[in-house]
Amino acid sequence: MTNGAATHCPYCALQCAMTLTPAPAAPPDVAGRDFPTNRGGLCRKGWTSASLLQHPGRVTEPLRRGADGVHRPVGWDEALALITAAVKTTRARHGADAIGVFGGGGLTNEKAYQLGKFARLALGTSRIDYNGRFCMSSAAAAGMRAFGVDRGLPFPVEDLDSASTILMLGSNVAETMPPFVQHLQGARDAGGLIVVDPRRSATAAFTDDGGGLHLAPLPGTDLALLLGISHAVIHEGLADAGYTAARTTGYEAVARSVASYWPERVQSITGVPAGLIRETARRLADGSRRGGSYILTGRGVEQHVDGTDTATAAINLALLLGLPGSARSGYGTLTGQGNGQGGREHGQKADQLPGYRKITDPAARAHMAAVWGVPETLIPGPGLPAVQLLKSLGQPDGVRCLFVHGANVAVSAPDANAVIAGLRSLDFLVVCDFFLSETAAEADLVLPVTQWAEEEGTLTNLEGRVLRRRRALAPPPGVRTELWIMARLAEALDAPSTFSEDPESVFEEIRLASAGGLADYSGIDYAMLDRGEAAYWPYPAGSTGTPRLFLDAFAHADGRAVFTPVTPRRRTPSSGPGTGSAASAADPAGTPMTLITGRLMEHYQSGAQTRRVAALAAARPGARLQIHPAAAAAQGIAEGDLVSISNSRGEVSCRAELSTDIRPETVFLPFHFPELESANRLTEAATDPISGMPEFKTSHVWVRPAAAEPRANELQKEGAL
Amino acid sequence: MTERIVVVGFGPVAARLVDELLPAVRSGLAHLSVVGEEAEAAYNRVLVADLGVGRTTAAALALSDAAALIADGVDVRLGVRVRRVDRARQQVVLSDGTSPGYDRLVFATGSRPVIPNLTGLNPDPAAPVLPAGVTALRDLRDAAALQAAVAGGKRVVVLGGGVLGLETALAAAEEGATVTVVHNGPHPLGRNIDRGGGAVLAASLRNCGVRVAGNARSTGVEHNAPGGGFSALLLDDGSAIDGDLLVLSCGVRPRTELAEGCGLSTGAGILVDHKLRAHHEPHIFAIGDCAEVRCPDPDCIECRTARGPSGLVGPGWRQAEWLAEYLTLLAAGSPGAGSLPPLAPELPGVIVLKARGMNMAVAGEVRADPWDEEALTAGAVNGRARLQIAQWADPEHGRYVKMTTRAGVLEGLVVVGMPRTAAELVQLFERGAELPADRSLLLRLDGPDQASVAGAADPERTVCRCAGVSGTTIAAAVSAGCGTVAEVSGTTRAGTGCGGCHNDIKGLIEAHFQAAVA
Repeated sequence: MTNGAATHCPYCALQCAMTLTPAPAAPPDVAGRDFPTNRGGLCRKGWTSASLLQHPGRVTEPLRRGADGVHRPVGWDEALALITAAVKTTRARHGADAIGVFGGGGLTNEKAYQLGKFARLALGTSRIDYNGRFCMSSAAAAGMRAFGVDRGLPFPVEDLDSASTILMLGSNVAETMPPFVQHLQGARDAGGLIVVDPRRSATAAFTDDGGGLHLAPLPGTDLALLLGISHAVIHEGLADAGYTAARTTGYEAVARSVASYWPERVQSITGVPAGLIRETARRLADGSRRGGSYILTGRGVEQHVDGTDTATAAINLALLLGLPGSARSGYGTLTGQGNGQGGREHGQKADQLPGYRKITDPAARAHMAAVWGVPETLIPGPGLPAVQLLKSLGQPDGVRCLFVHGANVAVSAPDANAVIAGLRSLDFLVVCDFFLSETAAEADLVLPVTQWAEEEGTLTNLEGRVLRRRRALAPPPGVRTELWIMARLAEALDAPSTFSEDPESVFEEIRLASAGGLADYSGIDYAMLDRGEAAYWPYPAGSTGTPRLFLDAFAHADGRAVFTPVTPRRRTPSSGPGTGSAASAADPAGTPMTLITGRLMEHYQSGAQTRRVAALAAARPGARLQIHPAAAAAQGIAEGDLVSISNSRGEVSCRAELSTDIRPETVFLPFHFPELESANRLTEAATDPISGMPEFKTSHVWVRPAAAEPRANELQKEGAL
Repeated sequence: MTERIVVVGFGPVAARLVDELLPAVRSGLAHLSVVGEEAEAAYNRVLVADLGVGRTTAAALALSDAAALIADGVDVRLGVRVRRVDRARQQVVLSDGTSPGYDRLVFATGSRPVIPNLTGLNPDPAAPVLPAGVTALRDLRDAAALQAAVAGGKRVVVLGGGVLGLETALAAAEEGATVTVVHNGPHPLGRNIDRGGGAVLAASLRNCGVRVAGNARSTGVEHNAPGGGFSALLLDDGSAIDGDLLVLSCGVRPRTELAEGCGLSTGAGILVDHKLRAHHEPHIFAIGDCAEVRCPDPDCIECRTARGPSGLVGPGWRQAEWLAEYLTLLAAGSPGAGSLPPLAPELPGVIVLKARGMNMAVAGEVRADPWDEEALTAGAVNGRARLQIAQWADPEHGRYVKMTTRAGVLEGLVVVGMPRTAAELVQLFERGAELPADRSLLLRLDGPDQASVAGAADPERTVCRCAGVSGTTIAAAVSAGCGTVAEVSGTTRAGTGCGGCHNDIKGLIEAHFQAAVA
């Protein structure tokens, strides 16, 4: 244990602490390490993470795709020369914005920062965005709007331990970040865990036996449910009037906007009994006067075309109760990806510069121009958010040459068939990965990069705490770090400014770049992190950081939090291409069901890593469609039957898993699997107008036994293709 | 050119229309005036009974803020009556002496309470002057009267067994008043509910402390209280029900006088077509309680079966949203106005009783009984499926469910005393979704077995979900010498994630050693 590297898990934003001890001729030994977030616990994904380091399928040399579609090894010099030529040709023919960069929320702070700088200064493009758009964008936009700053949890996670009431909306932590569940125990013991999920998820099951309440609204009605709870808070006199008067603006407008959402009406919209809506309001108010009340949101309520408004409704509820910025209560969003927090702060978002600065803000641009030593005019303006960026692939005036770092859009992006078609229409695709992911398989050039155990850097966890990732072993000889690749390419492209390949040097630059910004890291350095200090941003130089935000003031100029009234918009979910349209002509006959997508314990994101871990793949080898026995019986589907799930965007084929844990009109698919089992073939690329978040949770699909004859319109469609 | 839109009335439906028109006002597309007779901007009338029993505040009922609307450029006139509408000049003549012109006029005048013909009550429906101690519970002043009675623990008599009457009665009883509901017919909600549901409903009301006087025909009111206030409701059998406050809850009637006065066609309400336009008058619209959708085309099948105004606020809000979109397109001169699909016809209204102590929902046509062959086959022609009825009655425990379906889709429902079932059925009804073939699935939602019990006895079952470790694996580790949770965790990784299974592991260890002892 003593000679192991003290690092953190490669997967989710809980960033469980682990120790990696190299073992001769075997993967390093993984051990849980005591830390406030995971207290020594790890889930199955973490325990088995080291098996990927020496995986036989690992890409260990640059691979170039031949005319025959087969990837063959090439040397690094040749690979870099190919990219340089492709960039120069694309720029000359179509302009710099024809080059796109797609980043990821799993990249270290150093890589995320450098990627934004590389796109804007070395490539000269505005077209950079990342997969966090599918993850945190709605909650981030809502947090900015309400609080003036977005830090997933504005308090340390162990604050939850003493809470009496925790309302979790659309988050299945029992599967996605199991060690987090320890922090719910106090609320469960107090009978105050309230889980909102259309499914009786593993997390919802924690409310059994007196643990609390499970509210199961119809998919897509979360916003109305929140308005109903807020209505009950106001009308039962549970609102904290002193708090709303002293610390917020806009209370009256929100009170008016929820006046027409009385619990019985909300019951008719959501299917949640009025009594449970009132009970939830009372328990939240009661909890805030005892051990504390917390409201936490996850992707279930955020991944909607009105995801920002839904997160805002959750924040409004929290503000009515006086939770945010109090010592023992609060609102938070549970960040998903490993560096989903840091990854959204340092400039890989289309509209953002490092330090969570706005790219349209002249002062922010001037600051960054000074840090980078370039004229301000050299920094491009805002680009396109992820879904629009992917839609533009291969289009006239769209992106023709794309760099992908730490993302597998062929599986994780909505309307995946269209995304794959877009990737294939590119002039040149470069993917940095350590496996031949479904996206890498489409690439003209695949560059092998280091895994977490082979590199140094920092990540910022779901609480806004900056953590050190440490190298435990050397990478295979042909593998490089992304910092090295960017440095070489910047050199070849005669880029201005500097591109270091040393993580600590890049972090020192992040300190300068983020100084004075919302996410200020200027007071943090590697030495301090290596001493084990708990560094929560904002951490301006000379301060001691900010474990708890908002205790004195919110981040708006007047120090107050802002209530924004939100109400559901009428929208007919589409089953076909385009946005917002009603059922398309290509829809099969019969009643559509509502598809919600989500995660399994055994897999992480697109599954590019976890599907290659033998133990995880054995436990969950493929997708299964969760369907209610009554719905299955109506279609003649039995447990384990092969079923077809389709709409006009695509078709998925997998086995059925009958369960009363899901509502009868709703089906569930995990999105970790590719090809015929890829749930995102069915999701719609419609997006939230504020955050750019796609709609992942209310797609219309038709489910039938796979053996059935193809329907006439399906044949027509195939003919048309 | 800026389109002048005048909205007559400022209740909840008008408020929604105004909100939805704000973008057009802000962009200069429309100039909007809204004329309200009450001194307050729109508030939520649905909650007036809650206010009347002191459960909420007048401030919390507000739906609109006049100052904010004025800041947005809306011409808000409160405490102003419309004297008449001059269609020839396209003007509304107001009580404040002005006569603003309009390009589009929207009636959202709502409805007024029906004042029953009783001796001792002024029967003039247009200008009811109710004696002291009698209220119709329609506006904020009425609520104040009820609040005084409830706070004083007085006796409240509610005349009328409709949903608003029942809600008022339940709320007042729960807050400490002595309440009697007086209704005609054998059970309350006579117009909406079937016999079985009505009987269980009446019993449930009594359980909640509300006295229910059924089959009662009232004839007059007595004013023997000090100051000439209400003292008793007189019935035709010669008896009297004593009380301190009489709440009239005898239904509402659309307010159509202004429309009639300017020559528009009216039926139960102001007659409008599928675009909510008054008949033969493209400049005037009506929405909400005052409007009756029935187009001039005698062959329109939809209108042949149309019901009059529902008296519920939901349909009015949907009309307001649709009309705002339509008026905005018209104001913009957009060709989209012609192609905007008309509002879908309303389903029969859903009634969900707003009450704390009991639960009831009813919707659609529910009169037919399971063995009523004639009613079930009526309408089942040309391949249309016949009605099917599933029913569950447990009057002893205050539970009753009826599901009336055609081809698996609800046409009517009654649920008393089963909140989860009610919530589920109502949203199935509203979505027109098919019910599971096994209807008992819906009844079981309120069963005590809802929380499924993990199969603790199955040794293959996963004990530690985080690490994916089965009971068999843990038992093997215990057999191999692990005697503590920490030792089991060290060997199998069970319990190393969330720690939620530590008790289960402990149980397996104990079971092993007990077995060894035995």
